[in-house]
Amino acid sequence: MKRPSIMLIALLAVTLFGAAGAFAAPAAQAVLTIGVDQEAVGIDPHIVTAFSSMRRIDLMYNRLVRLDDNFVVVPDLAESWEVPNNVTYIFHLRKGVKFHNGRELTADDVQYSLQRILDPKTASPGRSYVSLITSIDVVDRYTVKLNLSAPLASLLDGLTSNNCSIVAKEAVEANGNLQKTDAGTGPFMLQDWIPDNSMTLVKNASYFEKGAPYLDKVIFRVIPEQASLLAGVKSGDIDLATISDGATIRQASKDSKVVVMSKPGLNMRIFSFNTTKKPFDDVRVRQALAMTLNRSEILGIAEFGMGKPTGPVPVAATQWAVPVAKLPYASPDIAKAKKLLAEAGYPKGFSFKITCSATYEGGLAVAQVAQEELKKIGVTAELEVVEWGVYIDKWVKRDFETMIELRGGSGEPDRFLYRTFYSTGGVNNFLFKDAEVDKYLDLGRTQTVLADRKASYNKLQTLLTEKAPAIFLYCPNENQVMGKQVSGFKLVGNGSLFYVTFTKVKR
Amino acid sequence: MFRYIVKRLLSLIPVLFGVSIIVFFLVRLIPGSALEMYMGTQVEATPEQMIELQRIFGEDKPVPVLYVEWLGRILQGDFGYSLRTGRPVLPDILSRLPLSLELTILSLALALLIGIPQGILSSLKRNPFSDVINRVIGLLGLSLPQFWLASLMVLAFANFSGWIPMGNYIKFSVDPIRNLRMLLLPSLAIGIGLAAVIMRYTRNSMLEVLQMDYIRTAKAKGLTKRVVILRHALKNAILPVITVAGFNTGYLLGGAIVIEEVFALPGMGRLALYAIYQRDYPVIQAIVLMIATIFVLVNLVTDLIYAMVDPRIRLDDGGR
Amino acid sequence: MKSNSLTRNSIVMTGLAIIGVYIAIMVVSTFWLPFDPISMDTDHILEAPSLATGHLFGTDEFGRDILSRIMKGSTISLIISVAATLLGTLVGTFMGVWAGYLGGRWDNVLMRIADVLFSFPSLLLAIFVMAILGEKTFNVVIAIGIVYIPQFARISRGAILTIKSSEFIKAAKSNGASSGFILRKHLLPNILVPLIVQVSLSLSVAILLESSLSFLGLGVQPPAPSWGNMLSGARKVMVLAPWTAIYPGIAIVLLVLGFNLLGDGLRDILDPRLRNVR
Repeated sequence: MKRPSIMLIALLAVTLFGAAGAFAAPAAQAVLTIGVDQEAVGIDPHIVTAFSSMRRIDLMYNRLVRLDDNFVVVPDLAESWEVPNNVTYIFHLRKGVKFHNGRELTADDVQYSLQRILDPKTASPGRSYVSLITSIDVVDRYTVKLNLSAPLASLLDGLTSNNCSIVAKEAVEANGNLQKTDAGTGPFMLQDWIPDNSMTLVKNASYFEKGAPYLDKVIFRVIPEQASLLAGVKSGDIDLATISDGATIRQASKDSKVVVMSKPGLNMRIFSFNTTKKPFDDVRVRQALAMTLNRSEILGIAEFGMGKPTGPVPVAATQWAVPVAKLPYASPDIAKAKKLLAEAGYPKGFSFKITCSATYEGGLAVAQVAQEELKKIGVTAELEVVEWGVYIDKWVKRDFETMIELRGGSGEPDRFLYRTFYSTGGVNNFLFKDAEVDKYLDLGRTQTVLADRKASYNKLQTLLTEKAPAIFLYCPNENQVMGKQVSGFKLVGNGSLFYVTFTKVKR
Repeated sequence: MFRYIVKRLLSLIPVLFGVSIIVFFLVRLIPGSALEMYMGTQVEATPEQMIELQRIFGEDKPVPVLYVEWLGRILQGDFGYSLRTGRPVLPDILSRLPLSLELTILSLALALLIGIPQGILSSLKRNPFSDVINRVIGLLGLSLPQFWLASLMVLAFANFSGWIPMGNYIKFSVDPIRNLRMLLLPSLAIGIGLAAVIMRYTRNSMLEVLQMDYIRTAKAKGLTKRVVILRHALKNAILPVITVAGFNTGYLLGGAIVIEEVFALPGMGRLALYAIYQRDYPVIQAIVLMIATIFVLVNLVTDLIYAMVDPRIRLDDGGR
Repeated sequence: MKSNSLTRNSIVMTGLAIIGVYIAIMVVSTFWLPFDPISMDTDHILEAPSLATGHLFGTDEFGRDILSRIMKGSTISLIISVAATLLGTLVGTFMGVWAGYLGGRWDNVLMRIADVLFSFPSLLLAIFVMAILGEKTFNVVIAIGIVYIPQFARISRGAILTIKSSEFIKAAKSNGASSGFILRKHLLPNILVPLIVQVSLSLSVAILLESSLSFLGLGVQPPAPSWGNMLSGARKVMVLAPWTAIYPGIAIVLLVLGFNLLGDGLRDILDPRLRNVR
């Protein structure tokens, strides 16, 4: 009986070993908790405008193409594309991409999504990015063709916007809109949402990027106080936090327990003029103010130095931005400013109002510093500090003399500059009309050779600085603060959380 | 008594009606609109889009027409959809009610726990010096700005996880221990002020009662001081205190705005604040109406208790 | 008896003393301040309090002297508080007296209006009014004043009602005295007591309301210094520079305490029910 007992023992051992494997506790879940200071308003990618919503959409949806961390357009749902002439774009989609409801994504979905964006009934903010599309053809199951009425150099860049995400038709039809519903293909799926508290996303196991995402769960927590966000990262309650306040970031940089990632973003702080109101209808007056404001000082106080001075094209868009040093009025020239004012008829200066708001975008701090600096040329600024809703109201009604604004720039110059500075531009609240600027905006939009476009936009940047419908101040940094347990995250200048797809957490 | 109650309930209707009209019309006097906030400074819309947006945001008809439509829907229980999120209004508000209620109850409980004993103590002291100290400390509670106290608390406790919600509010039904722990500090911040009020009322009631004849009789009979206090004086002194607490409860419900903001608690006060910021008319209208209704009902109940306790009041209807 | 009235008096006196100090500061601040409360000093941002630099309470995120801003803020807080309370008292008392005296229809209508106002929590109502009127300092006075109307209406109405049916008045009426005479001679002195107490308490709450509004960004706007908006600005830099949050808060607490002591002490002295307490 000796032989069989050894066999028995061996058998037993193997069985136990196997059983142990089967009964082994499941590996602990990899969970990333992200702290944000604003709740998402809704999550329908074709409808929302708020940054807070965009951050959730970053993880739940894909677009045809996306921007990498250097603002280069790279494939997302489309693995390749051709542009046979400047009014035709053909996209070849990846095969085997699944929506979160299990169905495969095809060219029909792209057609449906773009049509929904273009439909006035949707009232989509993304419409202006793709408005020149006249028709969308489904060539075959994985190929889609876009036909434009006129050349639009920024089309690809526009398609990277979250507002141009691809959605599942049946979800829209079942719910009316996607404000609470997940109809995407992205790396994470919506599991649970408690408004003003937390949103839980879980891993999309059939995401098309092999191996990704590495996290099992992502939880968004809404914490309005900047100081609490930092405290949360320090204590480990949250792993990653988007912090916008300069003072808090400065504090975080001094703390060895947390990691701070910071780089100039695409948002731009500007001092806007209503060019129809005296004395700002005279370009010399605007130039005088442009020559007086000290970008570094404003940056130092309002953002604690966390940003970079910029010209009309966000400084982070290195492919297109002319260095600030090469643009006019790079550093203050008080004497010349005073001279210009005198020429324009204001030797003793004048007084006017700066409209601003105490919210971050409303730039109250910037306004206060500007007020101080303008005293040097005898100009007295009175601050009109209003509540955010009133600020927006005044903006819409063009009821202001000057305003501190935070504009969303773009890596591709046409997308931002056209709508902002064209004489009939949709967000040209400066009421600025200049034929020369219009000419170069049109050129830049329609030219196809890169060298030509660069030349046009170089000229445009100098023009815009000289004609000064607004004074271009700086681009504040995008900041993320995280604990040491987070790896694999990359910061994108437009605030996108896309790289959470490749992030890991080590406990 | 019954007629009195019915009369009061009926008089609620014009009040709430008045509230609804005021809110509906005045809220549209605030510069800016939800549509403008939505578009902000970044969005451009074609004329057709604008027409559609105006319809979605309810700005396509004259205001009185909108009011009548809204009133009609309300009476059927339909409170509309939030302009900000597109979600139905009523469920969202109701989902926050438990937290606001819990905060109110906890604050009240803490206020009573702190205020009553302190009131009793200060009514017994014959030493003028400690009397003054006691009163000053009590009044100090009333003098602290809630938001300051809350900010300091967040500062002090930020490094201790579990005491500050940090956007991680856990419902009582899910985990009662953690829930109570994270609501302790906010309730304290609110309750300290109320404790001062309760202390004062307790003290005054106690003083009044303590010198009444039957107390002196009891004392003369030789009952120990403690028995006298607990059994007789307290029993009579408490009721006015309860009514004062009741009167302040309504305030607690919608007035915890700043506390909810600083502690990041998803309560009704904060929802109301953000709705006003965002010009989310349906939400503002619904939540103000609801807060007003609760407020008025609580006041009614407290009034009734007050009237039952103090016969003087009922006679001349002065205290209502 | 003596010790008790001493107690009562000392509380009132302490309150008056505190208020007096603030009034003195307000007066002084009109012609002298250690530093300019509004202009920035970008080389001295967020400096800790020190005797050497002269910034006894330190500087804020714009390099402005906190002590000077607190002193200047005292003017704003006191004026707003007094004006708002005055508004509420006048309008509310007017409403309440007429409602109580005339009774019937007028009573109903006026008190309905007061009820509607009363059914809003104070801060919410104030926020609402500020949102409509716009964030100018003057509007803060109106907002807080409106919040106070129902309370004063109720108190004055209640006092009128208790007196109205008394023998004294009936006698005066049957003697042919006019309404106006009765009001002035008999009714008004009677409501004075609860009114005075309520006024001093309202003064304290007004300061808290104003600072809450400013904290939320809906009250006094920067760069004008209000203790509330100073605390709002301090929220972000509190961790780096705690003095930005501590001193303005203390300023609020002490003044509010002063008014509370005054009101509480007065109530003690004037409340007839407690007059006979040993």
